[in-house]
Amino acid sequence: MKKRMQAVLIVLLCSLAAFVLARFDAALYQQPVGQVTKVQNMSQGTTKDEHDNEDENFQQKLTVKVLNRSDQVVHLQNDWTKSATMSTKYRKGDQLLLKESGHGYQIDQLKRDAVLAMLVTFFFGLLLCYVRFKKSSWLLLSLLVNAVLFWLGLVVDVKVRGLLVLPFFSGLAVLLAALSLVFVLGRRQQALVTWLATVLTTALSLAALALVMRLTGGRGVHFETMSYVTQVPAPIFYSQAVIGILGAVMDESSDIVAGLYGLHRENPNRPFLDYWRAGRSIGQEILGTLTNVLFMIFIAETVPMVILLLRNGNQFGYILDQVMNLGILQTVVSALGIVWAVPVTAFIAAFFLRQQPQEEGSS
Amino acid sequence: MNAIFVLCLLLLLSLLLIAGGPGLRTFLALAINFCLIFALIILINWGFSPYAVTAVIAVMILAVAIFLSGSRGRVMAIAWKTSLLVLVITAALAVLVQWLAQVQGYTLENSDELEGLSLNIGLSFTALPVVVMVVSALGAVAEAAMAVTADLFEVVERSPEIQPAALRQQGQLIGGQILGTAVNTLFFGMLGANMPLLIWYLRLHYSWATLLNAKLLLMEIFSTVLGMIGILLAIWLAEGFVVKAYQQEGRKILDETDL
Repeated sequence: MKKRMQAVLIVLLCSLAAFVLARFDAALYQQPVGQVTKVQNMSQGTTKDEHDNEDENFQQKLTVKVLNRSDQVVHLQNDWTKSATMSTKYRKGDQLLLKESGHGYQIDQLKRDAVLAMLVTFFFGLLLCYVRFKKSSWLLLSLLVNAVLFWLGLVVDVKVRGLLVLPFFSGLAVLLAALSLVFVLGRRQQALVTWLATVLTTALSLAALALVMRLTGGRGVHFETMSYVTQVPAPIFYSQAVIGILGAVMDESSDIVAGLYGLHRENPNRPFLDYWRAGRSIGQEILGTLTNVLFMIFIAETVPMVILLLRNGNQFGYILDQVMNLGILQTVVSALGIVWAVPVTAFIAAFFLRQQPQEEGSS
Repeated sequence: MNAIFVLCLLLLLSLLLIAGGPGLRTFLALAINFCLIFALIILINWGFSPYAVTAVIAVMILAVAIFLSGSRGRVMAIAWKTSLLVLVITAALAVLVQWLAQVQGYTLENSDELEGLSLNIGLSFTALPVVVMVVSALGAVAEAAMAVTADLFEVVERSPEIQPAALRQQGQLIGGQILGTAVNTLFFGMLGANMPLLIWYLRLHYSWATLLNAKLLLMEIFSTVLGMIGILLAIWLAEGFVVKAYQQEGRKILDETDL
């Protein structure tokens, strides 16, 4: 226990070090980076919008030292509101990314990379404390490889005209799933079983979605509410759905498969029904909470927008249709995948385990 | 017929067919959580402190997620203790991150959605990232705690002779695997959810410097990494609690104490 506390302490120190280091990385930036050395806030009075919301406006005069332009000192202005929906109140010590405009500088945005470095270091550090280095490095490698491949996929999507978006990203997702399972579980049968179950279940739920969309003519689904649209929204939505379902189902399938292989290691000679029942029992325990996970993630992200729309005098019915529509659809389809994954995985795993009851039982 | 309504019906039917009675509980849990989030939004909109509202609602959401799952009493008790502890740590981290990085609100990329909306709404958005980060981590934390605890209980039940040391070894094996895939789930979820935004960044040739500091993207990354930290801590603590309980009580931890 004491050893673990020491390890956690070291992780905390490392995170702090990462934060401090990243605050001194201004030289790596091409654009000017400044640090606020003095702030003077002035109230600019209150405003009232057409929905009777009263807000306070402020202006601040900032003295900024431009770190990668030989510590030149400049004076900049910034407007902010109490609501901070679009504006940011800067404080002494904040680092800012600046833009050169003519002879002077403009504020671009807050420099946030130090926080990113700190949080990521903290996570990696904790991971290394919990799992042995060999294993956790595989997990980190898998995250990295997945991120790079996904990024490359996006680059292809942007560069190639007339790309079949959905088949392309489905193929990519299946490949990413295979890679991360091999990275986490190793090249073992367990990974293969989990992968099979995952891909099969994802295909089933996507087919269900497509079928229902066709039968109902897509009534009540508003693809036009998608944010940041730069290409036809429907294929992108389907691709997002595939990646989301796949991630969730992979989680559940590997929980079930891990549990069943654990049983197998304890005592390799069990009847098919034993595995089937255990699989369903594990699945049932996870199924509810996993659905909840997805639901919480989706709904949490909508909170700020819902509040903004409420304050703008909109009714809940309208907000539900505009902000939550696609999120609800995605959550329901993923939930469908999660439910169907239980019988599919239990069956496949039980089948494979029965095939070779004499497998070496140690780990 | 409304497509979403049809899919909901299909979901309800599958739940009943595959999970039976507990399936209904899942549906009930979703409905209750939806109401709780609704309450959270209303209360914040009325001007209550977002931190206080989130603390209360978060505990209630965890309670729903765990106690409606319908597993053994002891599994739920351990998962509950674990989740509460992790909730406190995650919330503290979220406050720190938001205080340093100020990822609230919108940017010019949101112009389309914000068209015609008043942004001077008088309600401070600075606390909302904390709300988002904590609430979105909740589900994952509860799930991880439940999964590890339930799996370990399963091992104890099926293998009467197991020693605490062997149980710990099983725990690390199961925990490591659950961690790997749970982290992947969040990761895939984040990639999927942010596809349009990432494509936007790519099409408009944003520089790496801009990406690594971009408010919208970092908000998503922070939520995801915090969720991963939550999962990791949940697995770690849950495993410790189960092994400790088994050391002290042996197989008695399997006895159902009717609630």
